[in-house]
Amino acid sequence: MASRKKLTRFEKARVIGARALQLSMGAKPQVEASASSDAIDIAILELKENKLPLDVNRIKK
Amino acid sequence: MKVEPGDFVDVERVEKVVKKKRAKFPEKLIYEIAEAAERRDLSDDELDELVKEIKKAYQRAKVEQGEAVGTVAAQSVGEPGTQMTMRTFHYAGVAELNVTLGLPRLIEIVDARKKISTPTMAIYFEEDYGADEEFVRTIANRIGKIILSDVLADFSVNYASMSITVEIDEDKIKDKRLDHDEIIGKIEKAFKKVEIDKNVLSFEPTISESKHAIRELRLLADKVRDLQISGVKNIGKVVIRKEGTEWAIHTEGSNLGAVLKMEGVDKVRTTTNDIHEVEKVLGIEAARNSIIHEAQSTMEEQGLTVDVRHIMLVADMMTSDGIVKSIGRHGISGEKASVLARASFEETGKHLLRASIRGEIDHLTGIIENIIVGQPIPLGTGSVGVVMKDKKIGGRK
Repeated sequence: MASRKKLTRFEKARVIGARALQLSMGAKPQVEASASSDAIDIAILELKENKLPLDVNRIKK
Repeated sequence: MKVEPGDFVDVERVEKVVKKKRAKFPEKLIYEIAEAAERRDLSDDELDELVKEIKKAYQRAKVEQGEAVGTVAAQSVGEPGTQMTMRTFHYAGVAELNVTLGLPRLIEIVDARKKISTPTMAIYFEEDYGADEEFVRTIANRIGKIILSDVLADFSVNYASMSITVEIDEDKIKDKRLDHDEIIGKIEKAFKKVEIDKNVLSFEPTISESKHAIRELRLLADKVRDLQISGVKNIGKVVIRKEGTEWAIHTEGSNLGAVLKMEGVDKVRTTTNDIHEVEKVLGIEAARNSIIHEAQSTMEEQGLTVDVRHIMLVADMMTSDGIVKSIGRHGISGEKASVLARASFEETGKHLLRASIRGEIDHLTGIIENIIVGQPIPLGTGSVGVVMKDKKIGGRK
């Protein structure tokens, strides 16, 4: 992980959820994933490898 | 080796290690580590390891942003609350002082009652005075309520001559460390028709109508007996107790402002359980501490332990506006900014009607409002927004 501050568990869940939805609707995975993994697994993998094209915005009101 | 208070404790050494480990600890924690290191004679390596472990534990104990701390606090205080004895009137220690404890006391605290059922004070003295029993007894008699009948040797009502004759007991006055002239002065001030012949006093009632004469005389008799000749306002019985090497006074009733002004009273340790009085005399921060302390000691006394942070949150909510507010209709819940939040608590119709008359606007920033309109709530996962990263993926490595 880069200089980014560690995500809270809420941020992790939110960002993985959003990415998994994109993937399930046909977005291209940014990581190599095995055929058996589903959208959420891919999203988790992407987050782990810091390849998520999404960011969290903490000051949502 | 035991570390005595006042012993040298190498705080700096710990501070250095903490800095090296890139941890940020509160001052008190650092001091405690330093103390433990001293006590256990830790080597540098051991201290390193200790700080590392504490850092881990400290991080784990922190709450994350978006955590529902309020709900957790409510549950954590509420659950042990169910195990509290419903009604206990406990006599604190050997002294026969009656103090409300248990659930009724806890309710009293969160309701921020103006008049609590058993106000009580614990008065301590500064170092030079605390061990001096004679001094403490003198002060105790000045604080505690003493009425005239406490120092009388003889009391008689004469219906023939329509007068009351009392005799003051010098020994009792001496025993209570009072001043004879002062008492006489107080009596003269309170009663107009009084004849004083050294220790024998005779009172005469002012009779307006002759047929009420007997009653007037009896009323006067009560008044004479109950004349307060010493004591601080609002304080009743006092109990003197030896705590360790020093003497302390416990009272029934409370008047922090007056007691703190007395000579020799330790202004740091002397306390009252009346939160409103603490607020009035010492300010809102002291009131906050008082709420925390009272709530926690009430729970602890019943053998229940609740993490202080839950109670601190409650205390913070109650005091954050600069005045002590209760939890409930008249305090926090009744003063919420959002109409829907207020309406969902109590008196729904009243709030909605008022809001519609005034044309109030609800910005839907709270939890309840968003539940009512069926939106995700701004808490936990819902408090996080998601945005696309600009172009280059992982570019900010």
